[in-house]
Amino acid sequence: MEPLKKLLAGLLWLWMSAVIAGAFLYAPLARGFIGQSSRILFFHVPMAWVSFVAFIAAGIWSLRFLYGGRQPRHDRAAAAAVELGLTFGVLATVTGALWARVMWGAYWNWDPRQTSIVVALLFYGAYLALRSSLEDRDQRARLSAAYAVLGLVVAPFLFFIMPRIMFSLHPQSVINAQGKVEMEPRMVQVLLAGSAGATALFFWIHNLQCRLAALLERNSAPLE
Amino acid sequence: MWRDASTWAAEALAVFAKEWRCEFRTRYALNTLGLFAFTTLVVVSVSLGPVGVSTSRGTAVLPVLLWVILLFSAAAGLPRAFVQEEETQTATALRLAATPSALFCGKLLYGLTLTFALEILVTPVFVAMTSLDVKSPGLLAAVLAAGGFGLAAGSTLVAAIIAQARSKGTLFSVMAFPVLLPLLLIAVELSRGAVAGDPAGVALLQLLLYDASVTVAGFMLFPVVWNP
Repeated sequence: MEPLKKLLAGLLWLWMSAVIAGAFLYAPLARGFIGQSSRILFFHVPMAWVSFVAFIAAGIWSLRFLYGGRQPRHDRAAAAAVELGLTFGVLATVTGALWARVMWGAYWNWDPRQTSIVVALLFYGAYLALRSSLEDRDQRARLSAAYAVLGLVVAPFLFFIMPRIMFSLHPQSVINAQGKVEMEPRMVQVLLAGSAGATALFFWIHNLQCRLAALLERNSAPLE
Repeated sequence: MWRDASTWAAEALAVFAKEWRCEFRTRYALNTLGLFAFTTLVVVSVSLGPVGVSTSRGTAVLPVLLWVILLFSAAAGLPRAFVQEEETQTATALRLAATPSALFCGKLLYGLTLTFALEILVTPVFVAMTSLDVKSPGLLAAVLAAGGFGLAAGSTLVAAIIAQARSKGTLFSVMAFPVLLPLLLIAVELSRGAVAGDPAGVALLQLLLYDASVTVAGFMLFPVVWNP
């Protein structure tokens, strides 16, 4: 088992290196963007995507915890996913703000996308604050899982409904409202490869985090 | 089946009546909430100065201030419904006495009446003090009702969660505001429209959809939050 894991980690390292090289050397510049600023896309979009995946995954693990037999491993998985989602979310926010400075002239202007990611970061920050203020393990798992599921309920309003009632300057998604891909094929290739790599990176770190949390929990468990 | 439904309703009503009876014994929420709302109102009005703001600016700014006052007043009063049960250690008795969903319904009704009372007290005074010219008062009333419903529903569920944690007061704001922010943003947009006299459009439906989703989530999640 161990050599296979090492091989996979090595492959991921090669893959991500290729994505970084491709972002600068292979993909062309997008039209209508200042200077080289469109290249940040290949890092910003995968990070935003991974934080989205992480928060959805945390919600699903919380649902499985609440309605699937209250297994501690689902709780640990949800908590680790939230931590990683926050990390990637902060990175997506920072890369987005840097790009906004170049293109829009200001780091921050409460574009609907910026609003929704900040509210998401606040929500999952609150999730971690809740966890740290509950001492009993079962109680912590149960209450924080309920809060994460509430997040699943509120998220559509942030990501799908609010941007519609407010004006946004944010470039359209890869697949826009008309369902067409309006991007240079080479850009799409690098972007999809980057997103796939970042998703794999997320699940790899997530797996490590969960195993670490399980070990810590076993070590700190009171003697019975 | 009808028998079950009527006992459920009786339980919910009993919880609701109990909340208000306890409230009238101390009048804690009414006094603090009323005074809190009035103090913030005065702060806002005094800071705007004797002349106030011009009509065009007022349309943009005043609905925001109204909702900020309502949000923080609700945050000052609503969590008490559950925090008090844990502090006076009556939660266990309540767990034995009522079905979780009926209990949640009763607490939600209490939160709703409290929020609506707050809105009925605050809004006219706010409109008078800032000499806000509301073009379509009917729409504003609808937005306040729908927004107040969402405010109460979201706060009641979050209150049930934080009541069992340490550092309850700060935790409530930290946890409730991200949940309530979409509601607040939609409600502010709609209130601006109501002040300017624009038609409601699809945003009112979105607000009602938010209310429905949070209420359903509340009824679904409350049993797992409440029962250890």
